[in-house]
Amino acid sequence: MTALTAPFSHVSPGSLRSAWRVFWYGGRMSYGMLFNWARPSIYIPTLIGGPTFQLFFFAALGSYATNRSSAYFAIGNAVQVSAIAGVFGMTMAIANERWFGTLPAILATPANRAALFAGRFMPFVLNGLLVSLYAFALGVVFLGVRLAPGSLAVAGLALLVTVFSCTAIGALQGAISLRLRDGLFGANLVTMSILLFCGVNIPMAELPGWMQVVGNLLPFTHGLEAVRQAADGAGLGQVGGLIGIEALVGIAYALLAFALFVYLERSARRNATLDVR
Amino acid sequence: MSAGRSTRLIWFVTWFNVRMLLASEFFILLTFISPLIFATLGFFLFRSGGGTAGQTLLYVALGAGMMGVWSTTLFGCGGAIAWQRWEGTLELLVNAPSRYDFILVGQTFGAVVFGFYGIVATLAWGVLLFGMPIQATYPLLLPLSLLAAVVSLGSLGMLIATTFVLYRHANALGNLLEYPIWLITGLLVPVATLPIWIQPVSWLLAPTWGMEAIRGAAIGADPPILAIVMCFALAVAYYVAARIALVYVLAKARRDATLSLQ
Repeated sequence: MTALTAPFSHVSPGSLRSAWRVFWYGGRMSYGMLFNWARPSIYIPTLIGGPTFQLFFFAALGSYATNRSSAYFAIGNAVQVSAIAGVFGMTMAIANERWFGTLPAILATPANRAALFAGRFMPFVLNGLLVSLYAFALGVVFLGVRLAPGSLAVAGLALLVTVFSCTAIGALQGAISLRLRDGLFGANLVTMSILLFCGVNIPMAELPGWMQVVGNLLPFTHGLEAVRQAADGAGLGQVGGLIGIEALVGIAYALLAFALFVYLERSARRNATLDVR
Repeated sequence: MSAGRSTRLIWFVTWFNVRMLLASEFFILLTFISPLIFATLGFFLFRSGGGTAGQTLLYVALGAGMMGVWSTTLFGCGGAIAWQRWEGTLELLVNAPSRYDFILVGQTFGAVVFGFYGIVATLAWGVLLFGMPIQATYPLLLPLSLLAAVVSLGSLGMLIATTFVLYRHANALGNLLEYPIWLITGLLVPVATLPIWIQPVSWLLAPTWGMEAIRGAAIGADPPILAIVMCFALAVAYYVAARIALVYVLAKARRDATLSLQ
Protein backbone atom coordinates (compact mmCIF):
# COMPACT_ATOMS: atom_id res chain seq x y z
CA MET A 1 0.00 0.00 0.00
CA THR A 2 1.29 3.45 -0.82
CA ALA A 3 0.26 6.68 0.80
CA LEU A 4 0.78 10.22 -0.30
CA THR A 5 1.42 12.76 2.41
CA ALA A 6 2.00 16.48 2.29
CA PRO A 7 5.36 17.64 3.69
CA PHE A 8 4.98 19.06 7.19
CA SER A 9 5.43 22.83 7.44
CA HIS A 10 4.26 25.79 9.49
CA VAL A 11 2.17 27.89 7.16
CA SER A 12 -0.60 30.26 8.14
CA PRO A 13 -3.94 28.69 7.06
CA GLY A 14 -5.04 31.93 5.44
CA SER A 15 -1.93 32.42 3.31
CA LEU A 16 -1.66 31.91 -0.41
CA ARG A 17 1.04 29.29 0.16
CA SER A 18 -1.33 27.30 2.33
CA ALA A 19 -4.04 27.52 -0.32
CA TRP A 20 -1.54 26.26 -2.90
CA ARG A 21 -0.63 23.31 -0.67
CA VAL A 22 -4.29 22.44 -0.20
CA PHE A 23 -4.80 22.70 -3.96
CA TRP A 24 -1.74 20.67 -4.96
CA TYR A 25 -1.42 18.00 -2.27
CA GLY A 26 -5.12 17.82 -1.47
CA GLY A 27 -5.95 17.28 -5.14
CA ARG A 28 -3.43 14.48 -5.52
CA MET A 29 -4.53 12.84 -2.29
CA SER A 30 -8.19 13.01 -3.29
CA TYR A 31 -7.40 10.94 -6.39
CA GLY A 32 -5.57 8.21 -4.54
CA MET A 33 -7.86 8.01 -1.56
CA LEU A 34 -11.37 8.90 -2.69
CA PHE A 35 -11.45 7.61 -6.26
CA ASN A 36 -12.61 4.01 -5.83
CA TRP A 37 -11.35 3.01 -9.26
CA ALA A 38 -7.73 4.10 -8.75
CA ARG A 39 -6.40 0.54 -8.63
CA PRO A 40 -5.51 -1.65 -11.60
CA SER A 41 -8.12 -4.34 -10.86
CA ILE A 42 -10.89 -1.75 -11.34
CA TYR A 43 -9.16 0.88 -13.47
CA ILE A 44 -8.26 -1.48 -16.32
CA PRO A 45 -11.72 -3.08 -16.81
CA THR A 46 -13.58 0.20 -16.26
CA LEU A 47 -11.45 2.92 -17.81
CA ILE A 48 -9.55 0.97 -20.45
CA GLY A 49 -11.73 -2.04 -21.29
CA GLY A 50 -15.11 -0.28 -21.07
CA PRO A 51 -14.16 2.63 -23.36
CA THR A 52 -12.54 0.23 -25.84
CA PHE A 53 -15.75 -1.71 -26.31
CA GLN A 54 -17.91 1.43 -26.24
CA LEU A 55 -15.92 2.76 -29.18
CA PHE A 56 -16.37 -0.44 -31.19
CA PHE A 57 -20.04 -0.76 -30.26
CA PHE A 58 -21.03 2.70 -31.45
CA ALA A 59 -18.77 2.53 -34.50
CA ALA A 60 -20.49 -0.71 -35.54
CA LEU A 61 -24.01 0.47 -34.65
CA GLY A 62 -23.60 3.92 -36.19
CA SER A 63 -22.08 2.78 -39.45
CA TYR A 64 -24.69 -0.01 -39.76
CA ALA A 65 -27.68 2.22 -39.00
CA THR A 66 -26.64 5.36 -40.86
CA ASN A 67 -24.01 4.34 -43.44
CA ARG A 68 -21.86 7.12 -42.03
CA SER A 69 -18.13 6.48 -41.59
CA SER A 70 -17.19 4.66 -38.39
CA ALA A 71 -14.56 7.38 -37.81
CA TYR A 72 -17.38 9.85 -37.08
CA PHE A 73 -18.63 7.70 -34.19
CA ALA A 74 -15.11 6.88 -33.07
CA ILE A 75 -14.25 10.57 -32.63
CA GLY A 76 -17.49 11.31 -30.77
CA ASN A 77 -17.04 8.42 -28.37
CA ALA A 78 -13.30 8.94 -27.96
CA VAL A 79 -14.13 12.37 -26.52
CA GLN A 80 -17.16 11.12 -24.57
CA VAL A 81 -15.27 8.37 -22.71
CA SER A 82 -13.40 11.05 -20.81
CA ALA A 83 -16.73 11.56 -19.01
CA ILE A 84 -16.35 8.17 -17.35
CA ALA A 85 -13.20 9.43 -15.66
CA GLY A 86 -14.32 13.04 -15.24
CA VAL A 87 -17.92 12.69 -14.09
CA PHE A 88 -17.59 9.53 -11.99
CA GLY A 89 -14.17 10.53 -10.66
CA MET A 90 -15.23 13.99 -9.51
CA THR A 91 -18.47 12.63 -8.07
CA MET A 92 -16.48 10.17 -5.98
CA ALA A 93 -13.82 12.74 -5.05
CA ILE A 94 -16.46 14.95 -3.43
CA ALA A 95 -19.24 12.60 -2.35
CA ASN A 96 -16.90 9.98 -0.88
CA GLU A 97 -15.74 12.50 1.72
CA ARG A 98 -19.13 11.94 3.26
CA TRP A 99 -19.30 8.18 2.75
CA PHE A 100 -15.79 7.58 4.06
CA GLY A 101 -16.54 9.74 7.10
CA THR A 102 -13.86 12.37 6.39
CA LEU A 103 -16.22 15.24 5.55
CA PRO A 104 -16.58 16.58 9.12
CA ALA A 105 -12.79 16.60 9.56
CA ILE A 106 -12.32 18.44 6.25
CA LEU A 107 -14.97 21.01 7.07
CA ALA A 108 -13.58 21.55 10.55
CA THR A 109 -10.26 22.75 9.06
CA PRO A 110 -9.68 26.38 8.14
CA ALA A 111 -8.49 25.27 4.68
CA ASN A 112 -9.31 27.56 1.79
CA ARG A 113 -12.52 26.09 0.32
CA ALA A 114 -11.87 27.27 -3.24
CA ALA A 115 -8.39 25.68 -3.21
CA LEU A 116 -9.79 22.53 -1.64
CA PHE A 117 -12.42 22.29 -4.33
CA ALA A 118 -10.29 23.32 -7.31
CA GLY A 119 -7.44 20.97 -6.42
CA ARG A 120 -9.69 18.00 -7.06
CA PHE A 121 -10.12 18.91 -10.71
CA MET A 122 -6.49 18.48 -11.64
CA PRO A 123 -6.03 14.68 -11.39
CA PHE A 124 -9.42 13.94 -12.92
CA VAL A 125 -8.85 16.24 -15.88
CA LEU A 126 -5.53 14.49 -16.50
CA ASN A 127 -7.15 11.10 -16.10
CA GLY A 128 -9.98 11.97 -18.49
CA LEU A 129 -7.45 13.24 -21.00
CA LEU A 130 -5.49 10.00 -20.75
CA VAL A 131 -8.59 7.85 -21.32
CA SER A 132 -9.63 10.01 -24.26
CA LEU A 133 -6.18 9.92 -25.87
CA TYR A 134 -6.14 6.14 -25.51
CA ALA A 135 -9.55 5.96 -27.23
CA PHE A 136 -8.31 8.26 -30.02
CA ALA A 137 -5.32 5.96 -30.54
CA LEU A 138 -7.74 3.02 -30.89
CA GLY A 139 -9.79 5.03 -33.35
CA VAL A 140 -6.71 5.86 -35.43
CA VAL A 141 -5.49 2.26 -35.50
CA PHE A 142 -8.77 0.40 -35.99
CA LEU A 143 -11.56 2.74 -37.05
CA GLY A 144 -10.09 5.02 -39.65
CA VAL A 145 -9.85 8.19 -37.56
CA ARG A 146 -7.53 10.69 -39.22
CA LEU A 147 -6.40 13.92 -37.57
CA ALA A 148 -5.12 16.78 -39.70
CA PRO A 149 -1.44 17.14 -38.62
CA GLY A 150 -1.57 20.94 -38.81
CA SER A 151 -4.46 21.13 -36.33
CA LEU A 152 -3.33 18.62 -33.75
CA ALA A 153 -2.58 21.32 -31.19
CA VAL A 154 -6.00 22.91 -31.71
CA ALA A 155 -7.71 19.50 -31.40
CA GLY A 156 -5.68 18.89 -28.23
CA LEU A 157 -6.74 22.24 -26.76
CA ALA A 158 -10.39 21.58 -27.59
CA LEU A 159 -10.12 18.15 -25.98
CA LEU A 160 -8.51 19.56 -22.84
CA VAL A 161 -11.24 22.19 -22.44
CA THR A 162 -13.94 19.59 -23.06
CA VAL A 163 -12.50 17.25 -20.45
CA PHE A 164 -12.36 20.15 -17.99
CA SER A 165 -16.01 21.03 -18.55
CA CYS A 166 -17.09 17.41 -18.13
CA THR A 167 -15.11 17.27 -14.89
CA ALA A 168 -16.93 20.43 -13.83
CA ILE A 169 -20.35 18.82 -14.29
CA GLY A 170 -18.92 15.88 -12.33
CA ALA A 171 -18.09 18.33 -9.54
CA LEU A 172 -21.67 19.58 -9.57
CA GLN A 173 -22.89 16.01 -9.42
CA GLY A 174 -20.48 15.38 -6.53
CA ALA A 175 -21.85 18.37 -4.63
CA ILE A 176 -25.43 17.20 -5.24
CA SER A 177 -24.40 13.72 -4.07
CA LEU A 178 -23.50 15.11 -0.66
CA ARG A 179 -27.25 15.09 -0.10
CA LEU A 180 -28.23 11.93 -1.98
CA ARG A 181 -28.29 8.30 -0.96
CA ASP A 182 -26.77 7.11 -4.24
CA GLY A 183 -24.54 9.68 -5.94
CA LEU A 184 -23.58 7.42 -8.81
CA PHE A 185 -27.19 7.42 -10.05
CA GLY A 186 -26.77 11.03 -11.18
CA ALA A 187 -23.30 10.37 -12.58
CA ASN A 188 -24.65 7.52 -14.71
CA LEU A 189 -27.51 9.70 -15.88
CA VAL A 190 -25.16 12.54 -16.85
CA THR A 191 -22.84 10.31 -18.89
CA MET A 192 -25.79 8.68 -20.67
CA SER A 193 -27.36 12.08 -21.37
CA ILE A 194 -24.10 13.22 -22.95
CA LEU A 195 -24.27 10.23 -25.30
CA LEU A 196 -27.75 11.24 -26.40
CA PHE A 197 -27.86 15.04 -26.34
CA CYS A 198 -24.36 16.28 -27.21
CA GLY A 199 -23.78 15.17 -30.78
CA VAL A 200 -21.61 12.22 -29.79
CA ASN A 201 -23.43 9.81 -32.10
CA ILE A 202 -26.24 11.85 -33.63
CA PRO A 203 -25.43 15.20 -35.30
CA MET A 204 -27.05 18.04 -33.33
CA ALA A 205 -28.92 19.22 -36.44
CA GLU A 206 -30.83 15.91 -36.56
CA LEU A 207 -32.12 16.23 -32.99
CA PRO A 208 -35.47 17.90 -32.14
CA GLY A 209 -35.25 21.54 -31.06
CA TRP A 210 -35.70 20.92 -27.33
CA MET A 211 -32.95 18.30 -27.37
CA GLN A 212 -30.62 20.78 -29.05
CA VAL A 213 -31.36 23.28 -26.29
CA VAL A 214 -30.50 20.67 -23.63
CA GLY A 215 -27.37 19.71 -25.57
CA ASN A 216 -26.20 23.31 -25.74
CA LEU A 217 -26.53 23.62 -21.98
CA LEU A 218 -24.49 20.49 -21.32
CA PRO A 219 -20.71 20.21 -21.52
CA PHE A 220 -19.20 18.42 -24.52
CA THR A 221 -21.43 19.75 -27.29
CA HIS A 222 -19.29 22.71 -28.35
CA GLY A 223 -15.98 21.12 -27.40
CA LEU A 224 -16.75 17.97 -29.35
CA GLU A 225 -17.74 20.01 -32.39
CA ALA A 226 -14.44 21.88 -32.09
CA VAL A 227 -12.53 18.58 -31.91
CA ARG A 228 -14.37 17.28 -34.98
CA GLN A 229 -13.64 20.43 -36.98
CA ALA A 230 -10.01 20.54 -35.85
CA ALA A 231 -9.62 16.89 -36.84
CA ASP A 232 -10.72 17.96 -40.32
CA GLY A 233 -8.08 20.69 -40.40
CA ALA A 234 -9.84 23.75 -38.94
CA GLY A 235 -7.53 26.22 -37.20
CA LEU A 236 -7.90 28.13 -33.95
CA GLY A 237 -9.51 31.01 -35.81
CA GLN A 238 -12.37 28.78 -36.93
CA VAL A 239 -12.97 26.81 -33.75
CA GLY A 240 -11.77 29.32 -31.14
CA GLY A 241 -15.35 30.45 -30.54
CA LEU A 242 -16.53 26.90 -29.90
CA ILE A 243 -13.64 26.27 -27.51
CA GLY A 244 -14.43 29.54 -25.72
CA ILE A 245 -18.10 28.59 -25.29
CA GLU A 246 -17.10 25.15 -23.99
CA ALA A 247 -14.73 26.80 -21.49
CA LEU A 248 -17.51 29.14 -20.34
CA VAL A 249 -19.91 26.22 -19.92
CA GLY A 250 -17.27 24.39 -17.87
CA ILE A 251 -16.54 27.43 -15.69
CA ALA A 252 -20.27 27.96 -15.12
CA TYR A 253 -20.69 24.38 -13.94
CA ALA A 254 -17.58 24.63 -11.73
CA LEU A 255 -18.88 27.84 -10.11
CA LEU A 256 -22.33 26.32 -9.63
CA ALA A 257 -20.76 23.24 -8.07
CA PHE A 258 -18.65 25.36 -5.70
CA ALA A 259 -21.62 27.50 -4.70
CA LEU A 260 -23.67 24.37 -3.99
CA PHE A 261 -20.80 22.84 -2.01
CA VAL A 262 -20.53 25.96 0.16
CA TYR A 263 -24.31 26.15 0.59
CA LEU A 264 -24.53 22.50 1.59
CA GLU A 265 -21.64 22.93 4.02
CA ARG A 266 -23.44 25.79 5.76
CA SER A 267 -26.73 23.98 5.69
CA ALA A 268 -25.16 20.81 7.12
CA ARG A 269 -23.52 22.81 9.94
CA ARG A 270 -26.79 24.58 10.72
CA ASN A 271 -28.87 21.39 10.74
CA ALA A 272 -26.20 19.14 12.29
CA THR A 273 -26.43 16.73 9.35
CA LEU A 274 -22.73 16.48 8.44
CA ASP A 275 -22.59 12.82 9.38
CA VAL A 276 -26.10 11.81 8.40
CA ARG A 277 -26.12 9.16 5.65
CA MET B 1 -36.32 -31.42 -0.51
CA SER B 2 -39.59 -32.02 -2.40
CA ALA B 3 -40.19 -30.48 -5.81
CA GLY B 4 -43.03 -28.39 -4.39
CA ARG B 5 -40.88 -26.93 -1.62
CA SER B 6 -38.02 -26.26 -4.07
CA THR B 7 -40.35 -24.44 -6.47
CA ARG B 8 -41.79 -22.43 -3.59
CA LEU B 9 -38.28 -21.50 -2.41
CA ILE B 10 -37.19 -20.38 -5.90
CA TRP B 11 -40.41 -18.42 -6.41
CA PHE B 12 -40.10 -16.72 -3.02
CA VAL B 13 -36.44 -15.73 -3.54
CA THR B 14 -37.18 -14.52 -7.09
CA TRP B 15 -39.99 -12.27 -5.89
CA PHE B 16 -37.97 -11.11 -2.88
CA ASN B 17 -35.07 -10.14 -5.15
CA VAL B 18 -37.35 -8.26 -7.55
CA ARG B 19 -38.64 -6.22 -4.61
CA MET B 20 -35.11 -5.55 -3.39
CA LEU B 21 -34.00 -4.37 -6.84
CA LEU B 22 -37.03 -2.08 -7.02
CA ALA B 23 -35.61 -0.22 -4.03
CA SER B 24 -32.24 0.33 -5.73
CA GLU B 25 -31.80 3.58 -7.67
CA PHE B 26 -28.96 1.99 -9.63
CA PHE B 27 -31.13 -0.88 -10.88
CA ILE B 28 -34.03 1.44 -11.64
CA LEU B 29 -31.63 3.38 -13.86
CA LEU B 30 -30.25 0.22 -15.42
CA THR B 31 -33.63 -1.36 -16.14
CA PHE B 32 -35.97 1.53 -16.87
CA ILE B 33 -34.01 4.65 -17.79
CA SER B 34 -30.92 3.39 -19.59
CA PRO B 35 -32.89 1.26 -22.15
CA LEU B 36 -35.04 4.31 -22.93
CA ILE B 37 -31.95 6.42 -23.59
CA PHE B 38 -30.42 3.73 -25.80
CA ALA B 39 -33.77 3.15 -27.55
CA THR B 40 -34.04 6.89 -28.31
CA LEU B 41 -30.45 6.90 -29.55
CA GLY B 42 -31.21 3.86 -31.71
CA PHE B 43 -34.42 5.40 -33.10
CA PHE B 44 -32.59 8.57 -34.12
CA LEU B 45 -29.64 6.67 -35.60
CA PHE B 46 -31.85 4.38 -37.69
CA ARG B 47 -34.03 7.32 -38.70
CA SER B 48 -30.89 9.16 -39.79
CA GLY B 49 -30.12 6.18 -42.04
CA GLY B 50 -33.63 6.19 -43.50
CA GLY B 51 -35.04 3.36 -41.36
CA THR B 52 -38.43 4.69 -40.32
CA ALA B 53 -40.55 1.61 -40.96
CA GLY B 54 -42.56 0.19 -38.07
CA GLN B 55 -40.52 -3.00 -38.12
CA THR B 56 -37.26 -1.04 -37.77
CA LEU B 57 -38.63 0.78 -34.73
CA LEU B 58 -39.76 -2.49 -33.18
CA TYR B 59 -36.35 -3.99 -33.95
CA VAL B 60 -34.68 -1.11 -32.08
CA ALA B 61 -37.12 -1.15 -29.15
CA LEU B 62 -36.68 -4.88 -28.57
CA GLY B 63 -32.90 -4.61 -28.95
CA ALA B 64 -32.61 -1.68 -26.54
CA GLY B 65 -34.89 -3.47 -24.06
CA MET B 66 -32.72 -6.56 -24.24
CA MET B 67 -29.65 -4.35 -23.62
CA GLY B 68 -31.29 -3.39 -20.33
CA VAL B 69 -31.98 -7.06 -19.56
CA TRP B 70 -28.32 -7.89 -20.12
CA SER B 71 -27.13 -5.00 -17.93
CA THR B 72 -29.46 -6.04 -15.12
CA THR B 73 -28.36 -9.67 -15.45
CA LEU B 74 -24.70 -8.68 -15.50
CA PHE B 75 -24.78 -6.37 -12.48
CA GLY B 76 -27.58 -8.11 -10.59
CA CYS B 77 -26.03 -11.56 -10.86
CA GLY B 78 -22.35 -10.60 -10.98
CA GLY B 79 -22.52 -9.24 -7.47
CA ALA B 80 -25.09 -11.69 -6.09
CA ILE B 81 -22.78 -13.79 -3.91
CA ALA B 82 -20.58 -10.82 -3.04
CA TRP B 83 -23.63 -8.91 -1.74
CA GLN B 84 -24.61 -11.83 0.47
CA ARG B 85 -21.08 -11.71 1.84
CA TRP B 86 -21.28 -7.97 2.53
CA GLU B 87 -24.70 -8.32 4.14
CA GLY B 88 -23.42 -11.18 6.29
CA THR B 89 -26.07 -13.62 5.06
CA LEU B 90 -23.86 -15.90 2.95
CA GLU B 91 -22.78 -18.13 5.84
CA LEU B 92 -26.38 -18.56 6.99
CA LEU B 93 -27.68 -19.33 3.51
CA VAL B 94 -24.91 -21.81 2.69
CA ASN B 95 -25.41 -23.66 5.95
CA ALA B 96 -29.23 -23.65 5.85
CA PRO B 97 -31.02 -26.96 5.14
CA SER B 98 -32.35 -25.50 1.84
CA ARG B 99 -30.13 -26.05 -1.19
CA TYR B 100 -28.00 -22.97 -1.78
CA ASP B 101 -28.06 -23.36 -5.57
CA PHE B 102 -31.87 -23.00 -5.49
CA ILE B 103 -31.51 -19.77 -3.55
CA LEU B 104 -29.03 -18.56 -6.15
CA VAL B 105 -31.39 -19.61 -8.96
CA GLY B 106 -34.12 -17.49 -7.37
CA GLN B 107 -31.77 -14.57 -6.94
CA THR B 108 -30.52 -14.63 -10.53
CA PHE B 109 -34.01 -15.16 -11.95
CA GLY B 110 -35.18 -12.21 -9.89
CA ALA B 111 -32.58 -10.01 -11.59
CA VAL B 112 -33.49 -11.30 -15.06
CA VAL B 113 -37.26 -10.98 -14.53
CA PHE B 114 -36.69 -7.46 -13.23
CA GLY B 115 -34.60 -6.72 -16.32
CA PHE B 116 -37.45 -7.78 -18.59
CA TYR B 117 -39.54 -4.86 -17.34
CA GLY B 118 -37.10 -2.83 -19.46
CA ILE B 119 -38.47 -4.37 -22.65
CA VAL B 120 -41.99 -3.33 -21.64
CA ALA B 121 -40.68 0.18 -20.95
CA THR B 122 -38.97 0.52 -24.35
CA LEU B 123 -42.02 -0.82 -26.17
CA ALA B 124 -44.26 1.70 -24.40
CA TRP B 125 -41.69 4.45 -25.15
CA GLY B 126 -41.62 3.54 -28.84
CA VAL B 127 -45.41 3.54 -29.11
CA LEU B 128 -45.87 6.83 -27.25
CA LEU B 129 -43.05 8.89 -28.74
CA PHE B 130 -42.31 7.38 -32.12
CA GLY B 131 -45.68 5.92 -33.10
CA MET B 132 -44.24 2.43 -33.23
CA PRO B 133 -46.79 -0.28 -34.09
CA ILE B 134 -47.03 -3.25 -31.74
CA GLN B 135 -47.24 -6.42 -33.75
CA ALA B 136 -46.28 -10.06 -33.60
CA THR B 137 -45.91 -12.34 -36.59
CA TYR B 138 -46.23 -15.40 -34.33
CA PRO B 139 -48.21 -14.21 -31.30
CA LEU B 140 -48.63 -17.72 -29.91
CA LEU B 141 -44.86 -18.28 -29.92
CA LEU B 142 -44.10 -14.97 -28.22
CA PRO B 143 -44.79 -16.14 -24.62
CA LEU B 144 -42.66 -19.24 -25.21
CA SER B 145 -39.88 -17.07 -26.68
CA LEU B 146 -39.98 -14.80 -23.64
CA LEU B 147 -39.89 -17.80 -21.29
CA ALA B 148 -36.95 -19.30 -23.21
CA ALA B 149 -35.07 -15.99 -23.01
CA VAL B 150 -35.74 -15.62 -19.26
CA VAL B 151 -34.65 -19.21 -18.52
CA SER B 152 -31.46 -19.00 -20.59
CA LEU B 153 -30.47 -15.58 -19.22
CA GLY B 154 -31.29 -16.72 -15.69
CA SER B 155 -28.97 -19.72 -16.06
CA LEU B 156 -26.28 -17.52 -17.57
CA GLY B 157 -26.79 -15.19 -14.62
CA MET B 158 -26.14 -18.07 -12.26
CA LEU B 159 -22.92 -18.88 -14.09
CA ILE B 160 -21.94 -15.22 -13.86
CA ALA B 161 -22.72 -15.16 -10.12
CA THR B 162 -20.61 -18.23 -9.39
CA THR B 163 -17.61 -17.17 -11.47
CA PHE B 164 -17.50 -13.41 -10.88
CA VAL B 165 -17.19 -14.01 -7.15
CA LEU B 166 -13.65 -15.24 -7.78
CA TYR B 167 -12.77 -11.69 -8.89
CA ARG B 168 -12.65 -9.24 -6.03
CA HIS B 169 -14.25 -6.36 -7.97
CA ALA B 170 -17.20 -8.00 -9.72
CA ASN B 171 -18.75 -4.64 -10.66
CA ALA B 172 -15.63 -3.73 -12.61
CA LEU B 173 -16.16 -6.87 -14.69
CA GLY B 174 -19.72 -5.65 -15.21
CA ASN B 175 -18.40 -2.33 -16.53
CA LEU B 176 -16.14 -4.25 -18.88
CA LEU B 177 -18.68 -6.72 -20.26
CA GLU B 178 -21.69 -4.50 -20.93
CA TYR B 179 -20.78 -3.14 -24.39
CA PRO B 180 -19.05 -6.19 -25.90
CA ILE B 181 -22.04 -8.45 -25.22
CA TRP B 182 -24.43 -5.81 -26.58
CA LEU B 183 -22.32 -5.82 -29.70
CA ILE B 184 -21.61 -9.49 -30.37
CA THR B 185 -25.06 -10.82 -29.48
CA GLY B 186 -26.71 -8.79 -32.21
CA LEU B 187 -29.02 -6.73 -30.02
CA LEU B 188 -28.87 -3.71 -32.33
CA VAL B 189 -26.31 -4.74 -34.95
CA PRO B 190 -27.01 -8.07 -36.69
CA VAL B 191 -24.52 -10.82 -35.87
CA ALA B 192 -24.13 -11.48 -39.60
CA THR B 193 -22.48 -8.05 -40.07
CA LEU B 194 -19.77 -8.82 -37.51
CA PRO B 195 -16.40 -10.36 -38.44
CA ILE B 196 -16.73 -14.08 -39.08
CA TRP B 197 -14.40 -15.05 -36.22
CA ILE B 198 -16.68 -13.40 -33.63
CA GLN B 199 -19.85 -15.19 -34.71
CA PRO B 200 -19.12 -18.58 -33.01
CA VAL B 201 -18.65 -16.67 -29.72
CA SER B 202 -22.06 -15.06 -30.09
CA TRP B 203 -23.68 -18.49 -30.65
CA LEU B 204 -22.55 -19.51 -27.17
CA LEU B 205 -24.27 -16.55 -25.51
CA ALA B 206 -27.85 -16.63 -24.26
CA PRO B 207 -28.76 -13.04 -25.27
CA THR B 208 -28.08 -13.91 -28.93
CA TRP B 209 -30.71 -16.67 -28.98
CA GLY B 210 -33.04 -14.92 -26.54
CA MET B 211 -33.11 -11.88 -28.82
CA GLU B 212 -33.47 -14.07 -31.90
CA ALA B 213 -36.41 -15.91 -30.30
CA ILE B 214 -38.24 -12.72 -29.27
CA ARG B 215 -37.54 -10.87 -32.52
CA GLY B 216 -38.42 -13.96 -34.54
CA ALA B 217 -41.82 -14.20 -32.86
CA ALA B 218 -42.44 -10.46 -33.22
CA ILE B 219 -41.10 -9.55 -36.66
CA GLY B 220 -39.48 -12.70 -38.08
CA ALA B 221 -40.37 -14.35 -41.37
CA ASP B 222 -40.04 -17.87 -39.96
CA PRO B 223 -41.02 -19.24 -36.53
CA PRO B 224 -37.98 -19.01 -34.19
CA ILE B 225 -37.95 -22.70 -33.24
CA LEU B 226 -34.16 -23.08 -33.42
CA ALA B 227 -33.63 -20.02 -31.23
CA ILE B 228 -36.08 -21.32 -28.60
CA VAL B 229 -34.43 -24.75 -28.56
CA MET B 230 -30.98 -23.16 -28.30
CA CYS B 231 -32.15 -21.05 -25.34
CA PHE B 232 -33.22 -24.13 -23.40
CA ALA B 233 -30.13 -26.12 -24.42
CA LEU B 234 -27.81 -23.30 -23.36
CA ALA B 235 -29.76 -22.94 -20.10
CA VAL B 236 -29.01 -26.57 -19.23
CA ALA B 237 -25.33 -26.17 -20.16
CA TYR B 238 -24.99 -22.95 -18.13
CA TYR B 239 -26.71 -24.53 -15.12
CA VAL B 240 -24.39 -27.54 -15.12
CA ALA B 241 -21.33 -25.27 -15.46
CA ALA B 242 -22.68 -22.99 -12.70
CA ARG B 243 -23.24 -25.97 -10.37
CA ILE B 244 -19.66 -27.14 -10.90
CA ALA B 245 -18.35 -23.60 -10.33
CA LEU B 246 -20.53 -23.20 -7.22
CA VAL B 247 -19.29 -26.45 -5.66
CA TYR B 248 -15.71 -25.33 -6.32
CA VAL B 249 -16.26 -21.79 -5.00
CA LEU B 250 -18.00 -22.92 -1.81
CA ALA B 251 -15.42 -25.67 -1.16
CA LYS B 252 -12.64 -23.12 -1.63
CA ALA B 253 -14.35 -20.61 0.66
CA ARG B 254 -14.82 -23.25 3.38
CA ARG B 255 -11.25 -24.50 2.99
CA ASP B 256 -9.76 -20.99 3.13
CA ALA B 257 -12.25 -19.88 5.81
CA THR B 258 -13.27 -16.91 3.66
CA LEU B 259 -17.03 -17.50 3.53
CA SER B 260 -17.75 -14.42 5.58
CA LEU B 261 -14.72 -12.36 4.57
CA GLN B 262 -15.27 -9.26 2.47
